[in-house]
Amino acid sequence: MNRILIVEDEKHLAEGLRFNLEAEDYQVQVVETGEAALELLLTETPAFDVVILDVMLPGKNGFTVMSEMRQAGQFIPTLMLTARGHPDDVLNGFAAGADDYLTKPFELAILIARIRGLLRRNQWLRAAANNTAANHTAARSEPNDTFTFGDKSVHFDLLELWVRDKRFPLTLMEANLLRYLIQHEGRTVSRKTMLEEVWGLHEDTDTRAIDNFIVRLRRYIEDEPTRPRHLLTVRGVGYRFVASPVAPG
Amino acid sequence: MVVAGRRRSIAFFIALGAGLISVILLLYVGWVVLNWRSGILLFLGVLLLSTLISGVALNTTFLVREIRRNEQQDAFINAVTHELKTPVASIRLYLETLQARTVDEVKRQEFYHIMLLESDRLLATIEQILRTGRIGAASHKLNLGSIELGGMVEECLLRARTLYHMPAESLAYHPGPPVTILGDPDEVRAALSNLIDNAVKYSGNDVRVTVETAKVDGKYVTVRVRDQGLGIPKTELKQIFKRFYRVPGAPATRVKGIGLGLYIVRSVAKRHGGRAWAESEGPGRGSTFVLQLPIAK
Repeated sequence: MNRILIVEDEKHLAEGLRFNLEAEDYQVQVVETGEAALELLLTETPAFDVVILDVMLPGKNGFTVMSEMRQAGQFIPTLMLTARGHPDDVLNGFAAGADDYLTKPFELAILIARIRGLLRRNQWLRAAANNTAANHTAARSEPNDTFTFGDKSVHFDLLELWVRDKRFPLTLMEANLLRYLIQHEGRTVSRKTMLEEVWGLHEDTDTRAIDNFIVRLRRYIEDEPTRPRHLLTVRGVGYRFVASPVAPG
Repeated sequence: MVVAGRRRSIAFFIALGAGLISVILLLYVGWVVLNWRSGILLFLGVLLLSTLISGVALNTTFLVREIRRNEQQDAFINAVTHELKTPVASIRLYLETLQARTVDEVKRQEFYHIMLLESDRLLATIEQILRTGRIGAASHKLNLGSIELGGMVEECLLRARTLYHMPAESLAYHPGPPVTILGDPDEVRAALSNLIDNAVKYSGNDVRVTVETAKVDGKYVTVRVRDQGLGIPKTELKQIFKRFYRVPGAPATRVKGIGLGLYIVRSVAKRHGGRAWAESEGPGRGSTFVLQLPIAK
């Protein structure tokens, strides 16, 4: 039975969610604060398959909880569920490490479908990880959905990035953004296009929230993140991915 | 993240203002040393200098105030978004549940009850926002009438006891001599209810609220709403009556709100020729809110 942790301080909403998810045969636990959630999630063997995380929590807010989870290496699929639906909020949620984002009020059927989606992806990932568990070299030689540049390789199916012998787990959105940039290798892509194509967000005003993602990706793939060679800034427009940069000098 | 950015920008502008003033002072002292003999020039210089300094100081003050106001408005919009959307999300979730699933009779009644509570909460938020709009509009006149204050306090307490399921001991009334005031019943009732609601909300689990009425100098009557709850830091006692303002930090932000309740209380007091203030010995030591209104002649 899949286990779901609901982090929500609105008692009525949390109980309504619990009733419905239990009716769908999930095992549900509710906590009211981010601190309580982190305590449960940052143990060695957390007992959950999906986390539903509210943003406006008393004490630590959902964005902080999300980034602390990911920084501590906790990659349980997480759906942020919040009243804040401004594109900047959505992007901040994804930048903090969320796998999915849904705004209140929501349709029950959509919420359940999204939870199933996260669980399904998790199962695929586990299956893929088991198949290639012997050593990561085997995984690297797999042609399936992998992109290699220099001494780095991105395994999109496993949501991970290997730099030499170092493994960086990616969130779904980080992987999607990287895939998009790689697909448009050598071409400049604007922030607006990335927002529309990767996140499906249509925003008239220019938003800089996407830059947080780039900063994180640079930390993984660049030897010197402040002097990027793969993920270049094109001033006033957006970014360009270069797989094999020409050696300086 | 955004707030931290703004704090940095405030610090930058204050530093810039202070820096400019020091540069001006330095230049001026130099200038005086060089030109101390010419009297008229010295006088004009002093005039110019004070104009410059006050200009820079005023500019910095307004800039900082504007940044703070923007910050509060952002927080207000977030709080309103939350307070409007959350009850709708709850009601919608329960309606969808009732529509899509088989629910036994006991649960069904529980869901109806929750939906009613959430719609009351939604209505209360909408009323606070509309009332703030009305109070702010210059054209909105008071609908004056005689109010027997004790009766109105009891009516508000009764409403709160029913709403929060509290016994009379938790929300007690110590009446003073009977007093009649001239006021807008709707507004005075809203102000009293806001004070009582706050006292309950900020009391945590141990609700011991008392309401007292007393005459002051034969001209005014005070309504004191006292709780044994979270208390208020001394520096926040005036701030909390500002529009959109909410006390920062952990214990207070655990209580949901949109930062309009006390603004309404103070506005109603002012519109009736009275005033409102808060007293507290500090965090953890409870608070007393006082609404003072003139007695009808």
